[in-house]
Amino acid sequence: MDETVAEYIRRTVLKIPRDEIKAMLQKWGFLSESQLQTINFHQIKENISQEVVQLCEENSADIKQAAVLDIIYNHIYPNKRVWSVYQMNKTAEETEFFDLTDFKKKFKRRLRSALKNITINFREYEDNAIWIRIAWGTPYTKPNQYKTSYVVYHSQTPYVFISASVLKSNLPLLCQALVLASNYHDIREMELRSHSLNSLKDIVFKRYSQNFQTHYPRPLQERNVAPENADLRIIQENRSEKERIQRVNREVFGDGPQPKLEFAQYRLETMFKSDPKMDVLDKKEPFRCLVKFSSPHLLESLKSLAPAGMADAPLSPLLTCIPQKARNYFKIREKKGVFPESFVSP
Amino acid sequence: GVFAHLETLEAQAHEAAMEEEETEQQEEKMARLKARVRELRLRRDKLQAKVDLRQKGLGKEGGMLDPAEPSARAVLEWKIRSLKAMLQVFYLTGISGKLTRRGVCFCLSTAYEGIYLDSYYLDLLTKPEVRIHRHSVPIFIPLEHIAKQYLQTDIRRFLAVLSDHLNAYTGRRYQAEQLQEHFSDQIEGTLQSNSLCNLLVFKYNVSSKSNTFPFSVRLLYSDLCCSLPTEVTVSC
Repeated sequence: MDETVAEYIRRTVLKIPRDEIKAMLQKWGFLSESQLQTINFHQIKENISQEVVQLCEENSADIKQAAVLDIIYNHIYPNKRVWSVYQMNKTAEETEFFDLTDFKKKFKRRLRSALKNITINFREYEDNAIWIRIAWGTPYTKPNQYKTSYVVYHSQTPYVFISASVLKSNLPLLCQALVLASNYHDIREMELRSHSLNSLKDIVFKRYSQNFQTHYPRPLQERNVAPENADLRIIQENRSEKERIQRVNREVFGDGPQPKLEFAQYRLETMFKSDPKMDVLDKKEPFRCLVKFSSPHLLESLKSLAPAGMADAPLSPLLTCIPQKARNYFKIREKKGVFPESFVSP
Repeated sequence: GVFAHLETLEAQAHEAAMEEEETEQQEEKMARLKARVRELRLRRDKLQAKVDLRQKGLGKEGGMLDPAEPSARAVLEWKIRSLKAMLQVFYLTGISGKLTRRGVCFCLSTAYEGIYLDSYYLDLLTKPEVRIHRHSVPIFIPLEHIAKQYLQTDIRRFLAVLSDHLNAYTGRRYQAEQLQEHFSDQIEGTLQSNSLCNLLVFKYNVSSKSNTFPFSVRLLYSDLCCSLPTEVTVSC
């Protein structure tokens, strides 16, 4: 077994939390059950990884098999990477039969015809997600297994989720291969980025909870009923306002959990509005400014702003349109016309 | 002599038995009809009592309640119940809607062979023209294509076509899931499918006596509005 492969497997195992190592190795399926029995999973990770490498040596692991372990790790811990969303377009409307074998063949062929030194692995999951791992090399060097790009694609959808590595120069080639393999015409990057891959999927596949008005009685939310205070001397002075805020919040955000985004960024190119007498800027130029909202869970925190009394309800549509517009990077320019309001660029 | 005598006796016995059976049947019929008459009389009495009660007024029972109020309330409750039942019926048809402030919100429910599957929503705006505001239709259903064709001109057709697509999709998906679940011992590995579930590829084994024959199947569903395949390829 190659030295580099051994080292790669060792480092991959070290990344895994100790309690999960056995389960992940089982999922990998490269080592047999009897071999796994011989490993002591209670010792320190350094030693566990050494034992794993030795067993892989016995089975003569190659880089392709090691790469599968890496995919499994990234599939279970996708939030360690930053994912961007790309959208593909096509003009033809004929029914697509998306054949997986066909897709894989075309994809590999396109990449390999441009770059000989490349490691490509595919893995399919039950939710129709196709995970692609690519380790890039150059015409003169072997693929760097530590600088990998990951692509997640759901068949027959126009969205691709890419976690590119540092090597941005390979991105055009990757996009080209994707478009070709999936029978689309072109691809563009959307203004949507996050660590949470599943939340990105929720946003573009519209899987997040939207409050649709229907007649059909659905199970009522219990949240409306506040626990009655035992002490009747405490009176809610602005109960109706609180209820109004709850109602407006539910209309905007829906009832279920929000997709998880870490930030929203607004690049302002609007004019500075001040008292004309103050004359702060004598040149009528846009006041360039960047507003960035960061949070471990941005949308949930926006949802709780009005009930917590920190903002008025309804919130600005610039904040609440994030899931619907499927973007968290905005450019705001001055609207040219009668109304001096700002508008969001498409 | 003796035989002839025995024959006549046999014939007589047979006749007597036949007559007995007939009378029994008659009696049974009589009993049934009498029971029916009793039932109908009971019903008539009940209805008569109801009519009498209504005519005399309900004040006889409660005393404190205003005679006019409960019956108006009862009518209202009946109206609400029948409206709810009507809405339930609409929901069960698969396409139901509710007017909103700016348009209408449709709910498209899907089912396959009597089993209810997912529901999808379409929030439409009606001014200045009919357009889709929000929806929960999966991204791989060609919603924009169908909307471009029918939304402006014939909304009924739009909803019918979209409903066909959604029902067929959930039907295909349900069948694939059931196949995987119930025949997992015969299928090798997992089914290879796609998001629309319109291409299924799998391998399965047929065993007879001592031999097992592996088969490879490819199911193609070129009609997106249909939950049955249009092309089947089985190879050995």
